Amino acid sequence: MRVTEQMRYDSVTSNLSQLSSRQAKAAQEAQTGVRVNLPSDDPIAAAQLARLSASQSQVTARRSTINAVRGDAELAESSLQQASDLMASAKELAMQGGNGSLGANERATLAAQVKDIRDQLIGIANTKGSSGYLFGGSATETKPFSTSGAFNGNDDAHVVDIGNSTPSAVNASGAKAFTAAAGGRDVFGDLDALYNALSSNDPTAIATSLDGIDQSRTQITNSQAAIGITLNKLDASDSVQSALDLQNSKTMADVGAADPAKAYSTLMQLNNALQQSVSVSKSILDLAAFKQF
Amino acid sequence: MAGLSQLLNVARDALTAQSYGLNVTGQNIANASTPGYVRRVAVLETQNLGTQSGGGVRAVGLQRITNDFIERRENQATGTSSAASTRDQTLASIEALFNDGAGTGLGSALNDVFASFSALAANPNDTTTRANVLAAAGAFVDRANATGNTLAQTQIDLKQQAQDTVDQVNQRAQEIAKLDMQIAQASMQGDDASDLKDQRTQKILNMSGLINTHTFTDGNGNTVVQVAGTTIVDGQHAGSLSLDLHADGSIKLLANQSGGGGSEITQFLTGGKLAGIKEARDKDLFDVSQKLNALVFDVASAVNTQHALGVGADGGSGRNVFDIGATSTNAARDLRVSVDVFDHPERIAAASSVFSTPGGSDNAVALSKIFETQIAVGNSKTAAQAYGDLIGSIGSTRANSQRDVETQSAILSQVQSMHQSESGVSLDEEMVNLTKFQNAYQAASKMISVADQLMQTLLNTVGR
Repeated sequence: MRVTEQMRYDSVTSNLSQLSSRQAKAAQEAQTGVRVNLPSDDPIAAAQLARLSASQSQVTARRSTINAVRGDAELAESSLQQASDLMASAKELAMQGGNGSLGANERATLAAQVKDIRDQLIGIANTKGSSGYLFGGSATETKPFSTSGAFNGNDDAHVVDIGNSTPSAVNASGAKAFTAAAGGRDVFGDLDALYNALSSNDPTAIATSLDGIDQSRTQITNSQAAIGITLNKLDASDSVQSALDLQNSKTMADVGAADPAKAYSTLMQLNNALQQSVSVSKSILDLAAFKQF
Repeated sequence: MAGLSQLLNVARDALTAQSYGLNVTGQNIANASTPGYVRRVAVLETQNLGTQSGGGVRAVGLQRITNDFIERRENQATGTSSAASTRDQTLASIEALFNDGAGTGLGSALNDVFASFSALAANPNDTTTRANVLAAAGAFVDRANATGNTLAQTQIDLKQQAQDTVDQVNQRAQEIAKLDMQIAQASMQGDDASDLKDQRTQKILNMSGLINTHTFTDGNGNTVVQVAGTTIVDGQHAGSLSLDLHADGSIKLLANQSGGGGSEITQFLTGGKLAGIKEARDKDLFDVSQKLNALVFDVASAVNTQHALGVGADGGSGRNVFDIGATSTNAARDLRVSVDVFDHPERIAAASSVFSTPGGSDNAVALSKIFETQIAVGNSKTAAQAYGDLIGSIGSTRANSQRDVETQSAILSQVQSMHQSESGVSLDEEMVNLTKFQNAYQAASKMISVADQLMQTLLNTVGR
């Protein structure tokens, strides 16, 4: 075959430019540690990465949701614990009041203590968390309990998506814990009954109210247990989501990241090839016969 | 018997012929790197001087060393390769638009919208959380607009490029016809037309890069140039093409007719830059725009439908988050944050009923759950799946196109190498020729001096 200078130049140019472009790509891969820089680098991996990052974004959103609602749930649990303790004190006062040897004055003192407990309890039931009143249902901006103990809230659940198949309620229901709205006992009514019985120095009424106080306390304890279960659920979901998080990150790295050792050795290989190609090109271009004449 | 004077004549002719050869060699060397230059060979032949034997040499002229077959193949390969690389340029810019690696792409904006609904569910009564929903929706709108606008602008730019290309084709056709005329004139006057022929071959090759070009010689010896199956140069007459758009906005190529009007030849457009532009614009870009618009439309509609069911912190309901048309046409470009909620974070409907404001989160959860619902591609895919598919299809189209560019450029360089091998200047060869003609010239000079010495000898002998 007849070989002309132009053919030599063309082949040198095209070989060098092909090698340079492969070397540049390998250098980028080695420098960034990313194998899929553009969708065309690996279309299947790019599509998978897009879906994984969507899934990852959802996992991140769920974890931050869990963190955001956990604080209020913990606050609700400790509030209910205090409420339950207060009811225990109320029960003791009721039992003391039931003692037949007590006089009207002593019962009046006990009544004052009961009133104190009732006021404290209203304060607890009106606890505010990071997103408004804890025990008002969805009426987070309205004080759930008036000073008379009347309920102004509702029994709406605060639902969020924490990765379970159905959205989960993460609030403690004030309606269920403190009121008769959901078919339970009116805790403040029960305290009022005890207070009235003690104030009116009526041992029979005191004995009757003791039962109500007991039931109210159980009701609050049950609510506390319920929010405890919710907290466990949040923790369990968080560990599921954190495992997913880890798995997603790992898969994303597997799919999209460059193997450092491989990327480096490819780069070195291409660097050498490029150097060699340059020196070979030089000798090819030096070959021209006319230089010898 | 040949006399001494004839020896002088032969030597004179030899000097002329060898210096002609030196000239041709010089011309070849000078043009060794001129694109389109076809090497010449000096054609020498023996010359009979009258009735006497012992003739001399004469330079008949030049021969251009060409091969029509290889030239046609080079034209064709140039067209195919140019179509592939033109298409690839557009695909590269489309691909860059959908590069989510930096976390600034449409996919991330889409994910953020749903993450903001999740955050709203966790904290429905928080103004900042509500404002974040609007911010995420705004960012999604911005990304969708930017992507949609860039795609639309690319489509307009490609139309302009196609127009420029058609103008260039018409320009080349005029130039080729003019060269044909000059070649005919030169041939009539007996002048050498090699340079003009080089130029014409180069123009035709140039035209091949713009549009699929085919050449042949008709019965009258005229070179006929056909582009996209239609004759554009016939002898010294040049026709022209024009560009229009179909009703669906795709490019329509017309061959202008002498009486006005044009006949459509779009279906015969198979190569050259113009074919690459058409495929990138009317197929690749169209496909990406359609999928993008459908995705944006599906997401915005699903969010709107769910949002309208809910109730804002102000108790209002039936509001949209996005302004979107009735169909997916231009959805990405036209998407806006609805005036229903714009600048009014309190109107974001987190609650499902007016009785559960401001702390109700049911609707916020339902909005975030759209992310997991098959709302896209005819309710068969989630938004993330559809977006992944879009990325995948853009990636594989580009990857195929890159392979195509590589294959076609390999074929082209092989054909170019064949062409060079046939018609290119080899400096080595020319150096040998240079020496050859130089030696012959020197030898002819020697002939003159020998003839001169003989003549002197004769004159001295006779004169004595």
